[in-house]
Amino acid sequence: MAKKFSAPLERTARLLDLVPYISTHQGISLKQLAKDFDVSVSQMTDDLTTLWMCGLPGYTPLELMDLDFESGFVTIHNADTLAKPRSITFDEGVALLLGLDLLRSALTADRADLSEKIELLSQRLATLIKLPSALSATSVVNQDVSTAITKAMRTRSGLEISYHSLYRDEVSTRIIHPIEIIEAEGQRYLSSYCYTAADFRQFRIDRIQNAKLHDVSMDIPQAPNQNTIYTCSIKVLTPTREIAERFRKSDLQANTHFAFESFSKQWVERSILASGNAVSLQSPPEIRKSIAVMAQSMLDRYKVR
Amino acid sequence: MSRKIERLINLTIALLATKRFLTKTEIFKSVEGYEGSPETKERMFERDKDDLRSLGIEIEVGSFDPLFNDEAGYRIKQEKYQFELGDISSTEVSLLSLAAEAWQEASLGDAAQKALLKLRSIGIPSDEISIPGTVQKLSDGGQDLSLITKAIAQKASLEFSYLDAALTINARHIVPIALSTRNGFWYLTGVDQEIQEIRTFRIDRIHGSITSNTGPSDFETPIGFDPRKTFSESAVVDFALIDVRVGKAASLRALAVSTRSLGEWDQIRIPILSMDSLCSLVLWHGLDAFVQEPAALRELVIANLEALVKNHG
Repeated sequence: MAKKFSAPLERTARLLDLVPYISTHQGISLKQLAKDFDVSVSQMTDDLTTLWMCGLPGYTPLELMDLDFESGFVTIHNADTLAKPRSITFDEGVALLLGLDLLRSALTADRADLSEKIELLSQRLATLIKLPSALSATSVVNQDVSTAITKAMRTRSGLEISYHSLYRDEVSTRIIHPIEIIEAEGQRYLSSYCYTAADFRQFRIDRIQNAKLHDVSMDIPQAPNQNTIYTCSIKVLTPTREIAERFRKSDLQANTHFAFESFSKQWVERSILASGNAVSLQSPPEIRKSIAVMAQSMLDRYKVR
Repeated sequence: MSRKIERLINLTIALLATKRFLTKTEIFKSVEGYEGSPETKERMFERDKDDLRSLGIEIEVGSFDPLFNDEAGYRIKQEKYQFELGDISSTEVSLLSLAAEAWQEASLGDAAQKALLKLRSIGIPSDEISIPGTVQKLSDGGQDLSLITKAIAQKASLEFSYLDAALTINARHIVPIALSTRNGFWYLTGVDQEIQEIRTFRIDRIHGSITSNTGPSDFETPIGFDPRKTFSESAVVDFALIDVRVGKAASLRALAVSTRSLGEWDQIRIPILSMDSLCSLVLWHGLDAFVQEPAALRELVIANLEALVKNHG
């Protein structure tokens, strides 16, 4: 975790950072200032009261900072010594460098100008925190897609997306109404109502290949369709990390069984095939059968050529 | 508590404002808050110096007249104190702000938030028209990214337990050289101290906590190492030739370096990073993918298919 300071030091740092912030946001409301610094209004009032007592040696009204916040709006004068923002810490630099690299990787090819700017900025930052080029973040989401999603959510409009379904292995065009972005297992999903499927669906954002705004009616049917659930029994033959991660089972032993549920027959078939000789599907029998048939026809093709 | 904070702020202001070094005597006489016996003041001042330094504020120690053996003096250099990125344009401020916004409630989210406040304090309005409006979000998945990045900067060594492909947990000892994120996962690259070779670890496969120790004193980052190429084909010697049905196998196509049309099928060329995971991906695509080369991959696929037929018959 990022280093946490003791309460008085945390507060000292905040007071030092408040001065340049108020200097460039003269007349900001006390409420907004508290919100920006993520503290309560009463804590902010305490902070400003303490700051009000500080200044250059002498500490007469001539030397003290001229801080006014009684009206509920904050102004500061006579604070030149602290008026510039403090240098960034190591962690702050790391956060910015990774963020910049993520941004660079998501840029479309026509923004070479920005890519160059980011490169130079990163070099300057890396020098400041004395960390040679060691960080990289790769975005797998197209910049145009994330911009369209944000715009659709903000204006509550629909989207036309082309989506690659992993289970079916096909790209389809769908009209959706995005509801919210959710995060699971490190992936981000767009939870939506899909007009094409007439049901609620979750789309993995990195598999959306294109997105543009599309007018949709606002009414979303209330009752989602019932889906069939396939309950599987899977026998472990060779415990591997790949199997543990694919089926999200942490404790795997050879020659034991585990149960697994899925909404997609195709997902089950493909997952068992991809697991090769490491597992065997015991039930349901019809999927077990179709796996045997599929594997045999794949094998036949290798034997012919 | 407020008294101490006031004193720390007043000391910072005094040391920043002074053109020459201030001696302790001058500080005790002029800076508000130093009270009590000479020993008490002395102790207060020592603690205050340590506290300011721990906040990242550099206090210079020197003498204002080198010809005489004077009492030591102190000051804070404005250029060391302030955020110094040189001339900065509004586009650059916007890019940095957007970079900070990539973090949410992650451990570095707090640091990103503070960096954002400092950026906004520079007083240059951001320029929102010429740059992209949004950025994908980063999350740390509960990992201690701060410990790892500090270890990289200090060339420290890291020890941890790692879950390997056969599902056994092994102790690893590395000198880290890079941290990267991709597809929602974090990767740590380092020189494995057992075999002296570069290895990359997926951080969520690390069990328990990571410990950091002083690294080997003669450590140098391997020449020509580029963290951005961790996942590219630069390290690859072997390629596979795979036939995929037109309009299918998008996940395999995403890995291809070239594609040749064969009518109903396309032939794609894929760098082999791991034989096992490529085999698994080919099997996932069923009758829509067929391995032409190399023979070793074909044999691996065939062996797995034979086992699948046997295990499901």
